[in-house]
Amino acid sequence: MAVCVAIIGKDNSPLYIGGIGNESGTDNELSRQWLVHTALDALEERLATTNTSNTNTSANAARTDLRDLYLGLLYSTDTHKIYGYVTNTRIKLVLVTSSTSPSGSNIRDAEVRTALRRLHALYADAICNPFHLPGDQIVSRKFDKQVKSLMMNNV
Amino acid sequence: MRSSVSYILSHAPGESVMSHPDYAQHAQHHACLLVLVKGIGGVLKNFNKLWERIQRVNNIKVTDSSGQVRDIWVRYVRDYPVENNDWGDFQTHRRLLGLITLSKFANQIELNEVCRVHESLKVKYSNTLYDSRAFMFGPGSNLKKPQQEPETYNPYDDDKLRERASLSDKISLPSDESDSLSSSGSFLRSTSSNTSYSAQEENFTTPSNFKTHALFYGENDPVPDLEQHVADLINSLFWVVESKRLERSREKLEKVSLLLAPFEKRDFVGLDMESRNNKKRCMGRVTKNLADLTLQAGLIAEALSLYHSAAEILKSVNDWLWLAAAKEGHCATSAILQYPNLRNSTPLQRNASLQESSPNKTKPLSLYQPSTDPFRKFKLHSSPLKSSKTSSPVNPPSELTPSSSDSVETSSRQSETDNADTESLASSSDIDYQSQKSYLSPDLPSIPRQPPSQINNQFLLSGEEIAEKYRKAIIHYSKYQNAGIIETEACFKAARIAVEQNNSLHASSFLQNVIFINLTLSEQEKIQRFDTLAELYKEIGFLRKAAFCQRLAATRQVSANNPNPDWQRCYYLMLHSFPGHKLSLDPNYVIQHQVGWPALQIQLLHELVVAARRMGHPALATRHMTFLLQTMWPHLSRQEHRDLAIQLQALSAQCEGGPVPLVLETGEVIPPANLTHVPSCSYFNPRQLPPPRTPHLIKSKSNQGPFIFTPIHFGSLERKNKKDEGKMEYLWVEDDICEVQMKLTNPLPFELKVSNMRLLTSGVVFESIPETIILPPDSPTTVNLHGTPKEVGELQILGYSTHTLGVKSNCRLKNMPMPHKFPASFLIEVIPSLPTITIETTLSLAGNINLSNPEISGNITNISLYNGESTECVITITNTSNVPIEYLDLSIQSNMDSQLQSKVFQWSNEEIQSKLPINPNEVARIVMKLYGEADFLDLGGVGENLFPNSLISNYPSRVGSPVPNTQTSLPTHSSNPHTSLSSALIVNRTSGSFRSINSQTTSWSAPISIMPPSRGRQIETQIIIRYSGGVGKDLHCRQSILQMNLELLPSVSITHWDVLPAEIPSQLYLVLDITNLTNEEMDFHYTPTKHILIEGKESRRVPVPLDRCPFTTTICKNEEDAAEPKSISTGTSTNSLELMCSEHLTKNVDLRWHLLQSNITGRASVKGITLSQTMMDIVRMSPLNWEVSLNNQCIKPQEEYNCMAGECLSLGVAVWNHLSRPLHKLCLSVQFYQDYNNGVLNYKLDNRVATAGNNKVVLATLLESAKAYHECTVVFLTPGEYKIDIQCSTTEPILDEIPHIKDTNQVSVQSCASEISHVWRFIPPVAISVTD
Repeated sequence: MAVCVAIIGKDNSPLYIGGIGNESGTDNELSRQWLVHTALDALEERLATTNTSNTNTSANAARTDLRDLYLGLLYSTDTHKIYGYVTNTRIKLVLVTSSTSPSGSNIRDAEVRTALRRLHALYADAICNPFHLPGDQIVSRKFDKQVKSLMMNNV
Repeated sequence: MRSSVSYILSHAPGESVMSHPDYAQHAQHHACLLVLVKGIGGVLKNFNKLWERIQRVNNIKVTDSSGQVRDIWVRYVRDYPVENNDWGDFQTHRRLLGLITLSKFANQIELNEVCRVHESLKVKYSNTLYDSRAFMFGPGSNLKKPQQEPETYNPYDDDKLRERASLSDKISLPSDESDSLSSSGSFLRSTSSNTSYSAQEENFTTPSNFKTHALFYGENDPVPDLEQHVADLINSLFWVVESKRLERSREKLEKVSLLLAPFEKRDFVGLDMESRNNKKRCMGRVTKNLADLTLQAGLIAEALSLYHSAAEILKSVNDWLWLAAAKEGHCATSAILQYPNLRNSTPLQRNASLQESSPNKTKPLSLYQPSTDPFRKFKLHSSPLKSSKTSSPVNPPSELTPSSSDSVETSSRQSETDNADTESLASSSDIDYQSQKSYLSPDLPSIPRQPPSQINNQFLLSGEEIAEKYRKAIIHYSKYQNAGIIETEACFKAARIAVEQNNSLHASSFLQNVIFINLTLSEQEKIQRFDTLAELYKEIGFLRKAAFCQRLAATRQVSANNPNPDWQRCYYLMLHSFPGHKLSLDPNYVIQHQVGWPALQIQLLHELVVAARRMGHPALATRHMTFLLQTMWPHLSRQEHRDLAIQLQALSAQCEGGPVPLVLETGEVIPPANLTHVPSCSYFNPRQLPPPRTPHLIKSKSNQGPFIFTPIHFGSLERKNKKDEGKMEYLWVEDDICEVQMKLTNPLPFELKVSNMRLLTSGVVFESIPETIILPPDSPTTVNLHGTPKEVGELQILGYSTHTLGVKSNCRLKNMPMPHKFPASFLIEVIPSLPTITIETTLSLAGNINLSNPEISGNITNISLYNGESTECVITITNTSNVPIEYLDLSIQSNMDSQLQSKVFQWSNEEIQSKLPINPNEVARIVMKLYGEADFLDLGGVGENLFPNSLISNYPSRVGSPVPNTQTSLPTHSSNPHTSLSSALIVNRTSGSFRSINSQTTSWSAPISIMPPSRGRQIETQIIIRYSGGVGKDLHCRQSILQMNLELLPSVSITHWDVLPAEIPSQLYLVLDITNLTNEEMDFHYTPTKHILIEGKESRRVPVPLDRCPFTTTICKNEEDAAEPKSISTGTSTNSLELMCSEHLTKNVDLRWHLLQSNITGRASVKGITLSQTMMDIVRMSPLNWEVSLNNQCIKPQEEYNCMAGECLSLGVAVWNHLSRPLHKLCLSVQFYQDYNNGVLNYKLDNRVATAGNNKVVLATLLESAKAYHECTVVFLTPGEYKIDIQCSTTEPILDEIPHIKDTNQVSVQSCASEISHVWRFIPPVAISVTD
């Protein structure tokens, strides 16, 4: 399902970008980075609007809002769809699906949601490493493997 | 948003598909009249200025026939594709209504050409064009308008009416498309009447077929009435639109023809036009068209309701395309009402900026108002006058006639139209001019366009509704492939409204939709699309999105599909996408903040470099490559470092990079990028001047307190704050070369050549000396940069500059990469220049150089001297600077104490001062005398004996002196006056204390070595030469240190000594054991006349005849003795006395030696000689003078007296007191003893000697210069050798007299006042040999 998964720090610096696919042609690492990077605008705007709406609405609503970290589809291009997810510590998880592949084109929202939740869990595990400095890039090989399998499983 | 119902009604792209999207469209443009402004002919210098002025006339107010003020808005375009004109029925604001040409001509041919182009433009847009103006700029500025005026009539009225007539003509025949050319021809013909001005000037005439309202100016004319003319044009356009609106509104709804979008033409072929459905469709479309016109005519509220009803109608017949248009119109109208800023913002800003930028630009505005009146006058009144004047003889009548005939024709037609039309039009023409004032008044922001009540229109859409309706409209549009461009434009318009609503998400979704619209566009238009997208994304703050779009646009610019790639625009697009990538043009900002995605930034920078190179700006390419290497250094791998460095080298080969900002054509400034990573600097520190050149304070600061360091600083907070970071504690000197040390590492895997390394400084002028170095990979290299400050003041060292990889960089410390924390700058005080010197030393030795080898290596002089030898050392000081030396001070620092130092080194300060000033390149010689000062008394080695001088030890030469054997354990003997032991005791005691004194006086030698002088000593000496000159001579000086290693070789030593009384009482012999410590034969002079040869390492005994020490010599005691610690001298009463004697000896003994082989002469002294009490009594002149007589015969010294046993001898002793005071309790005693000459003295002579008379007499007082005489008789009973010891003792200290002579030395004297007796003997003892 997913062709790319990115974890972005609260200062919008990339912490981890993992993708599957051939490294040649248009579907390479760099293009995926462009995709994710461009999604940040929409993501931030979404966050900003959620925040303002939070302040406007009642506390109860705010809580439910907070509980739902999944932001949904951020934007889509001809070939990709980009979904966002933000943790309570403003770590952004971005998942890119390919709309050209048969499995990715008609993916359901719920699937993406679960995938991102699992990614969140994986991320939490990864930064539990006492030797990991928060804000650093995640270089854990285990994490990489797990994320790759997460993407593959869903494909 | 995009409809899934895909292209239900769409068709294959027809030929009339609008293919030129206008991305700049706004919603408010729905209400605008479209006017094309075009420059034709030669390039007008001030075209842009004129264009801006025209643009400012974008809103005029016209009072319509019913007295209502209409607000008319105009949109000016520079270019308009004719194809888009075809959509004028669909959306009337797409019609080009007016034409303004700005042209320049220099001669008649050009004028003809200009006229031709103008006319052809009119033909091009003939379908929609209502009116035009031609502003022509001739060669001179003397073109007079009156001459251009038509002769006979006011052009305005006629022109207007005629145009209106011709247009109404056209409007009445909308289906007459094929005829349009001919009709336009007639239109042209009809308008030709207004160009009947025959001659612009003598030389220029417009061609006959030029039938436009032309206005002539000189090229440099200010064109004050430009706005007026433009407003006039708009006014005329309005009336046409208004007339069309009225016409449309009066049409019978049942009879209206179907309006078609261009691509729809074929759709309705063969359809039943009469069907109810179709009727409705027609109706809806016409209503929509009317709504468009109404909106353009300034009746916004009516337009709203019309749009609404049109939408209702069209919805019922599922005419999606037109429904969408109606909805869009509705939205646009609502937006215009809701967000007046949409319209006002642009002109407002422009005005504001203009006013700010140039005050004279506001002039036209202010001049504008007053100019209306003359203008009107001129038109209404003066023009006929003028025309009469300018009867234009140039204009041939042949030309006049057709135009006049035309005018007749048009006038007739006008009358027709007047009749056909309502009165309102005719009356409006009057009102038109009455309303001129109102529409000309600058009214832009203040006057509300609509009364507030009208805003509360029931059809007015709220913000949310606008977005929703627009969304629907776009969905409807999307059903038609041919309406792609309309859809795209709608998306942009909707996005702009969303931007105005401050709803970024809406805006972004509208913009996102643009991407999906599949249009067959030219590359250029695609690029434009991305460009516009980027701009809008930027507006909503989606910088990353904008950057992405810009990058896409940039890649499109140069893609393979693009027939004419434009690297320059590509470059600028890339450059402008920097903010989206969180990049800044300033490399320091990027390095400091480290934001953004490095991978993307690197890619972008790479592309930017390529673009810059391809667009033919190698300097930029170099700059960006440097930037890339510098800012992205931490994110690049080693391999990439290498590759990029090589690329940079290749780029800089074309154009060298320098640390200067580059200014682009757009005025953007690319700040310099400096390579601080190549090479990387890990250490940077200015160095103190090397020690000989270090400036010192002449007066060193006095310490403020007893504590060197205290952590407590009372009230010194400010003082601490004042201390700058990086302020150096040392000083640099003007005109003196200074050094900064740095450690550089080449991080690249190949050898790096860094040339032209200099220091970057601010503050005083600093001349940096360039360095070139070659750095091997990965090994830190220490580099010293040099420079010379040229002024006095504070010098700030900011960093260094390099030239490597073809790039010049200014590496400032404050911008250094993080791991090395440097202060922002180093601050160094530069003081006025000081002189520099070179020093040479030479030893002026006459003939004996071979022994005392002066080795001068650098500033170290090695000298060997025998003890007692003296030599001269010449210090040659050369002033090597340009500053005269005005201050010179010599001081010596050594491991000797100051006294010895002053003896070893002697120089004359006056002599030095007399040589000043030493001018540049002059030489001064300072003579310094060196003397091998030494203690020649060999104490026989330390430690082997407590009293190494061992006066009392078995000393073979102690002949004749009654040496009492050592019984030191009996101090009480001192009170025992009847033996001479008391004197021995004193000797021991005093010698002990004397030894300590001796060691005190020679204590200087202790730090040199504890070795006895027989082994030679090394003296390390620093001659410190402090010198200064020039401006700063009062504060600072330089200090040169001359290292002098002095080796003192042993020459002679005095191992033992003793004193003997000489034959004359006033003299004595100092007997010395002299040892020659050298290996050579020595000629030893111990008196001026006597000398002795001593072999090497041999020892000789020499007697030195001396005068005895007079009492008064104590006066000569030098300060050396006075400086002695009292604690040492207090123990003994004779201390000062001994010193006095020692001094006396030292002074009078003149020992010289001469090494025969090496011809070295020197001296020796007995300085520090110690004397026992007995010796002292010999040395000293006796206070009592003896006169001893036997049988009234005076006894001579050393004379043996013979007598027979049993002979009676009369021994007479006379004593004179030579002291200056009386002596009291003097005990005169005569004792007989036998000396066995083996050290045993036998005093028990009871049965051998008989005496008559006292052998001991106490004299109560002996006055000064008085004489006491005592006589006794003695009979020796047995033969033998006898001796008589005649002595005089007193318990009173004799030195009491000293205070009378010498005032200062009383302390020790007082303390010994209570001390024991003093004994004077008659020396030598009288010897009597008694024979049978």
